[in-house]
Amino acid sequence: MAHRSSGFWAEAWRRYRRRPLGIAALGFVGLLVVIAVFAPAIAGTKPVLCRYKGRLYAPCLGYFDRRLEPAIFAKDKFRGTYPKNLAAKDPESWAIWPLVFQDPYRPVRADEWPGRPENPAMDQGHPTWSNLFGTDQGGVDVFAKMVHGTTIALLVGFVSMGIAGTIGIVVGAIGGFFGGWIDSVTSRLTEIVMCIPTLVLILAIVAIIEKPSIWHTMAIIGFTGWTGIARLTRGEFLRIRGSEYVTAARASGAGPLRIMVRHILPNALAPILVPITFGIAAAILTESGLSFLGFGSPPPSASWGSVLNGARSNLAMWWLVVFPGTAIFLTVLAYNLIGEGLQEATDPRLREARK
Amino acid sequence: MATYLVRRLLLGLLTLVAITTIVYGLARNMPGSPLTAQLGEDPSRKINAADYERMQRAYGLDKSWPEGYLQWAGNLLRGDLGRSITRKQPVASLIAERLGPTLLVSGTAFVLIWMLAIPIGLYSSARAGKPDERLTSLALYALYSFPTFVAALFLQVVFAVWAKGTPWELPLFGMTDLPTDAPIGSRLVDVARHMILPVTCQTYVSLAYDIRFIRANMEEAVRQDYIRTARAKGAGPWRVLFRHAFRNTLIPLVTLLGLSLPSLMGGSIIIEQIFTWPGMGRLFFESIRERDYPTIMGLTLMFSVLTLLGQLLADLLYCLVDPRVSVD
Repeated sequence: MAHRSSGFWAEAWRRYRRRPLGIAALGFVGLLVVIAVFAPAIAGTKPVLCRYKGRLYAPCLGYFDRRLEPAIFAKDKFRGTYPKNLAAKDPESWAIWPLVFQDPYRPVRADEWPGRPENPAMDQGHPTWSNLFGTDQGGVDVFAKMVHGTTIALLVGFVSMGIAGTIGIVVGAIGGFFGGWIDSVTSRLTEIVMCIPTLVLILAIVAIIEKPSIWHTMAIIGFTGWTGIARLTRGEFLRIRGSEYVTAARASGAGPLRIMVRHILPNALAPILVPITFGIAAAILTESGLSFLGFGSPPPSASWGSVLNGARSNLAMWWLVVFPGTAIFLTVLAYNLIGEGLQEATDPRLREARK
Repeated sequence: MATYLVRRLLLGLLTLVAITTIVYGLARNMPGSPLTAQLGEDPSRKINAADYERMQRAYGLDKSWPEGYLQWAGNLLRGDLGRSITRKQPVASLIAERLGPTLLVSGTAFVLIWMLAIPIGLYSSARAGKPDERLTSLALYALYSFPTFVAALFLQVVFAVWAKGTPWELPLFGMTDLPTDAPIGSRLVDVARHMILPVTCQTYVSLAYDIRFIRANMEEAVRQDYIRTARAKGAGPWRVLFRHAFRNTLIPLVTLLGLSLPSLMGGSIIIEQIFTWPGMGRLFFESIRERDYPTIMGLTLMFSVLTLLGQLLADLLYCLVDPRVSVD
């Protein structure tokens, strides 16, 4: 009988694990993380690792940030094409190449890689063995674009919901905890932001920023998407504020900040995490929708939505619809399933029903 | 009741002022103006500086944006939404023109959604836990996660490209291909054919959402004590479901109806944009691109009023259907 009862989160995880779809969804997001991290090693035209003039280099890091590409290759006038240049300028050199020799930003030319023809452009670029997902209008490989776009899809979700979660929790917590006129002010603020048509706000802000980047898009989605989280946090804080343990904490002399952070927030976190997870799905939808409309991050960033945008002008190129469309769908579905699993695992009302 | 209404309306007014100020400020600070966006880079259409200044004055663009906002708000109080700068037409008549096409699509979608959502929602709560219900549930969930713009593109590829030349081919863009003097019957058929894809896109997401909503509420309702009582007194399963459980889920359903008001009138910007449907959503998109401030403001005002009204309506209906809820 001296069995130690498991904590809330351990219990929630035990419940979550019972849902095969939830586990599959977590696995899918994990797979996306792996793809995003190893993107330059999966598809690219820069060696993962090479030995050149007696030293080891990893030019593929240039895909993460241009500055990480070793300067020696620019000095030796490689101009981004490695295979021939490596052999010509240093016969002793060797290199480990990415799994798929295709570039997300430019078409591969005819004699660049032994036995590989030039990437076809326009509606000739249907999927083949050298271009797994086909090529877009400019002849750029869709598979490479999508592998490198995985980073954006993941970042959009986490960064924008990180921002929205922070604002929502802070605003909701302050309103719910203090009540009175402070609550009126924060509630009105939430209502106003809720009423502004999000797309207008995003389009207007994107137009105002001189050089919009993917980070701006993420920030805007974050700054407009916090209202639901704020409302829920407010409700939870209102509910918990009156409970006995909060009164006890107050009686023992804890200040408002300490009560909010140490006593209320941990108990309100589970229900707040649910809309945040659903929000990640919504953020990915918004970003790809914006890129699809042509308002997303500018080229050369390869967002999945921008691949879809290419299909609008030429619907015969069905591969520009099917592959990125399926990727967006599966990612959104995965986050929604995780959110649903989280809800069922942590909501005590739903838990009783399952018994 | 009266004091509640007055308070809500005053707060709504305050919210409206805040929203329109923000949107006006943002719109006026977007680079370019309706004059430059319209003339573009075409050198033959360049106007000289004096003309440009005269036009700016004529449209009130020489003032700072707070002044411009006050002027817009003043005109609004006199019932004047202003004139579209790029379309040379009063904003009110422009909106009226676009309201019909939007209502045609979203109204059809709305009727379809509720005709399908309630029976399917009830069916799936009646069969809860059975294999067929789990399959429907999963399919609905997948459908709910399917982005509309991806679905629209898929449908376009299937029905406009792959089905080309077959009887299944559907038109891609616009509302009608026929001239206005074509016989009314064939025009109606043509518009209906153009409507199929946008209506499908607008229906399926809300349908999946609403069915899940009904189901979740039913699940909550069937756990209540009065359901056990109803069963105990010998009411049949369907009677329990309809008379006892479903009636009690009407309240959240009514709220949902109220909240869907703005999207019904406003249409969907993305769907109208993809299918070049001449509705409000598309007008909004175009007016932002053209920097047509009066039209942007007119539409923003309409959307905000509808959103606020929808919320108010939902709250009022709430106490109408549920005597336990009181606004005071």
